[in-house]
Amino acid sequence: MTPAPAARQPDGAVRVAAVGDIHLSPDCAGLLRPAFATLPECADLLLLAGDLTRHGTVDEAVVVADEVRDLGVPVVAVLGNHDYHSDQEADITRALAAAGVSVLEGQSVTFSVAGHTVGVAGAKGFCGGFAGRSAGAFGEPEMKAWVRTAHIGAERLSTALEELSADRCEVRIALTHFSPVPDTLAGEPVEIYPFLGSYLLAEAIDAVGADLAVHGHAHLGTEHGRTAGGVRVRNVAQPVIDRAFALYQLPVHGHGSGM
Amino acid sequence: MSEPATHEVEYRLARLRDRLAGDDVAELGVRVELRGAAVLLSGTVPTAARRDEILRLARIELAGLTVFDDLASASTDAPERMEELP
Ligand SMILES: [Fe+2]
Ligand SMILES: [Fe+2]
Repeated sequence: MTPAPAARQPDGAVRVAAVGDIHLSPDCAGLLRPAFATLPECADLLLLAGDLTRHGTVDEAVVVADEVRDLGVPVVAVLGNHDYHSDQEADITRALAAAGVSVLEGQSVTFSVAGHTVGVAGAKGFCGGFAGRSAGAFGEPEMKAWVRTAHIGAERLSTALEELSADRCEVRIALTHFSPVPDTLAGEPVEIYPFLGSYLLAEAIDAVGADLAVHGHAHLGTEHGRTAGGVRVRNVAQPVIDRAFALYQLPVHGHGSGM
Repeated sequence: MSEPATHEVEYRLARLRDRLAGDDVAELGVRVELRGAAVLLSGTVPTAARRDEILRLARIELAGLTVFDDLASASTDAPERMEELP
């Protein structure tokens, strides 16, 4: 039986469904599938903002893959820190890709939605803190490695966003696990902000341009924020949105020279 | 029964936080805070089973202390509304 078609989106709009931090494991197989099955009626694509598994094992990734297989809308994911916990991120990526998910780490993917080109640039990103309150690459090798990892994460996002610009995408979305801004961390203890995201991600987003930035990781944070350059940021960690996914409708107006 | 010293309680809370964030539980979205002499657990976890598991652990780690449970499990329903971005 086909469900009644929901109201179509107005011409020149793209509907984006997004969720992060679903932290699935074999005991919750099937948990999100009923809600995901409604996606073809309400969204043009689904974004997964990392922390898809609990301990980062392939067994858990298979549960995630089954949850999003053959949904009828494209699925784009980045991994999160939990998905790296068991050093199986390469196999997790393969398990998701086998179910048709585009797993991005410094890459981009584009789709045609009602004749418009929609692009997603993805990278996990890393922590390190926010402008004026961040760690510096100085001192012990561990400290330098930490800060260097944050820079690499931002460079990967930047590379991916530049691909979207080169492809002349009309709607550009930056997808990360770590947060580019402190706004969407409100509710988390201020002391741990440096572990929740990095301003380097926002700097990359503002430098290259995007229409929306989506992230997860901050389970106690809030949904809405903006970069210094004015790009809207949404924290879609499942505990934050308290739904199977959040829905955003973005207008299509081609991209000019920015703001 | 004598009240445990405050610094002792502080370290017990820190140990519980470490355990929750550690290998077995891997749950980072739980707030563990003192409320008077009691301990408040709050935050949203993926399933009711995870919530029970966290409470069980907390009751072991915090034996002798009163534990207030404000943990919730996240809704897995599809959203009823779409945010229209201008
Ligand atoms: Fe998470
Ligand atoms: Fe995370």
